[in-house]
Amino acid sequence: MKLYLQFGHGMMEHCRHLIQSWNGGTVVLSPRDLEESRMQKFADRMRDFPDTSLLFDPQLYLPRSNHETLCAYSYWPSNYSTGVSWEVANLRTLLSEIFDLNARLGSDAIILPGLLASEVSDDWLDIQSAILNEAAMMGVQQELYPTIALSDAAILNTDQISKLLEAAESWDAPGYYLVCQHPRGEYLVNNPVWVSNILDIAAGIKLNGAKVILGYCSHQMLISACAKVDAICSGTFLNVRSFPPEKFSRAESDPKQRSTWFYCPQGLSEYKDSFLDIAHRIGVLDDLRPEEKFGGYANRLFSGPQPTTIGLKEPVAFRHYLNSLHVQALSAEKASFDETVNCYEETLNRAEDLLSSLHQSGIRGQQRDFRDIIDVQRAAIAALVATRGPILRRHWSAL
Amino acid sequence: MNVDIDWLRGEFPKLRNLAKLSQGGQKVVFTALDPQHGHVVLKLIHPSQAQESVERERLAVDQVKSARVPRIFDYGLVSTQVGPCYWFLEERVTGEPLNEVLRRAPLPMSEVLKLGVQMLEALVKAEEANIVHRDVKPANIMMSVDRDFSLLDFGIARHLTLAALTDVSARWGKCTPGYAPPEQFRNVQTEIDSRADLFALGVTLYEAATGVNPFWKDTGDQLEVLRRVEKTVLPRLETAAAQPEFADFISTLTQRRRDHRPKTAFEAHTWLLEIVSESQKR
Repeated sequence: MKLYLQFGHGMMEHCRHLIQSWNGGTVVLSPRDLEESRMQKFADRMRDFPDTSLLFDPQLYLPRSNHETLCAYSYWPSNYSTGVSWEVANLRTLLSEIFDLNARLGSDAIILPGLLASEVSDDWLDIQSAILNEAAMMGVQQELYPTIALSDAAILNTDQISKLLEAAESWDAPGYYLVCQHPRGEYLVNNPVWVSNILDIAAGIKLNGAKVILGYCSHQMLISACAKVDAICSGTFLNVRSFPPEKFSRAESDPKQRSTWFYCPQGLSEYKDSFLDIAHRIGVLDDLRPEEKFGGYANRLFSGPQPTTIGLKEPVAFRHYLNSLHVQALSAEKASFDETVNCYEETLNRAEDLLSSLHQSGIRGQQRDFRDIIDVQRAAIAALVATRGPILRRHWSAL
Repeated sequence: MNVDIDWLRGEFPKLRNLAKLSQGGQKVVFTALDPQHGHVVLKLIHPSQAQESVERERLAVDQVKSARVPRIFDYGLVSTQVGPCYWFLEERVTGEPLNEVLRRAPLPMSEVLKLGVQMLEALVKAEEANIVHRDVKPANIMMSVDRDFSLLDFGIARHLTLAALTDVSARWGKCTPGYAPPEQFRNVQTEIDSRADLFALGVTLYEAATGVNPFWKDTGDQLEVLRRVEKTVLPRLETAAAQPEFADFISTLTQRRRDHRPKTAFEAHTWLLEIVSESQKR
């Protein structure tokens, strides 16, 4: 499984740096965060890097949006009307604009627009089918990836997930871009049904022979390697590590100065530097030190002095997070279903041991602590194994 | 429906050794010897059965064309005291219904595997003909004296390319509780395909291996059985002789959601052949 870089605020330099350091990679471009002319320049520069791919997320989740940057894009419907905008002529115009923009940007595949499904209704499914069918008839060379954008309520409703998968059996697409709203705006989602149903969707699509790119992810979605997801996408701030639809509806001010969080990959948790100070004071800071394979971005924190006196700058913290996630994503997928599941369970077990010991010392990641999430992940894995395990096991190498 | 055997001999003069085999609410079955086809059964269907559904049954058997489904050699209408009766002249499988066999003891694992393979041969053919049997269960499977298996009774088969004969708005779909999957007894017509038969086959194989249908265990209440099918899962097959791969196979066939089952009977058949092949290597 790969990590794609989800473009967001302040991502330009991170993309350049990380793609160079990884000798290639994929960036998912975000019209919410970049005006068209700047995006074009950025794309032109990124394409100069070897083995670099670009995807463009049209972010048409809420087409009535007043988001200034989004609305300025040429493809954005100026007078959106639910019935009219999806009629063939209007749909064709919309898709033509998106295809042209993708051509200018040099995208390697085309992410098709998709509405946010507050529920998986017949109307929503009809629009999904219409977009895919019309796009397929327009004869572009790149692969077409429909967007499946789901609200938290839709994801938590197992009947709706079943309905989606039933419908998807008849869609003929080589891949899908799946974006999922987090319940109650949680960063780490403390609901096993949410995780389990996302795994179920991903596995169902994979078993239909299509790729799955999971957008707007945190490290919680490393679990999706167990459903043989092809790539997870992540970025800097929380609004690209989760999918908050309201962020596509109206412009938000640039992120203000806020706490810097250090990601401890072996604990799957993030910590404010003040907690690192406490760890330093009581002599357990080294337990949080990432292994060398995670790139050494955060090594200075462990060089001796009190962490806050060194200060982990926000850009370094982001690079450390994304590089760690890149390494973890690549190593999450194994040669068989059982090995992949075992590997993830071992990751959880190790994290649990570490977090248990850190908690005894008073070191906690607060709302970014993974301890309560571990059982959520275990439950989701158990459900995946029970419902789809034998078939995933059987088809794993072909997925 | 009472049938006078002498009258019957008069209506079917070519048949010899006519003898009554069984009688149900809707049909009477006789065994006989046919000069052209050898051992046959003659089925007389009660006139209350809609002619179109009887015709669909005949059509289903004709289109499935499987060695695991007894052929219909001839058919027609005969006038009786209770009205015109449809009749079928079918290939006779000499043996015993599987439900009778299982009443004595479960099958050895080698025969459970054989049962699975042979029923899937029939279901693959049905799938190719766009037909869903909708009533796979031990009572509709005949075990021959050679210990081969045949699938009988396409009486409620669904032809996916023809309009449904049953009420699509009815609350309950035609089925045998404890074998039919939720989408069938909930009468979700758009979701009926060969995966409904795979569910029923999974339950049948479990019962063949253990002698028990867990959905029926300790209850005679049909609604309770339907509730169990909808709300619980079949226990994992844990008999000593069952390979883990076969237990996985049964679990997958009997998933409540059809998108969690194998996509087709063909896929299930291929999978089971691989399991059988592996078991023979051990």
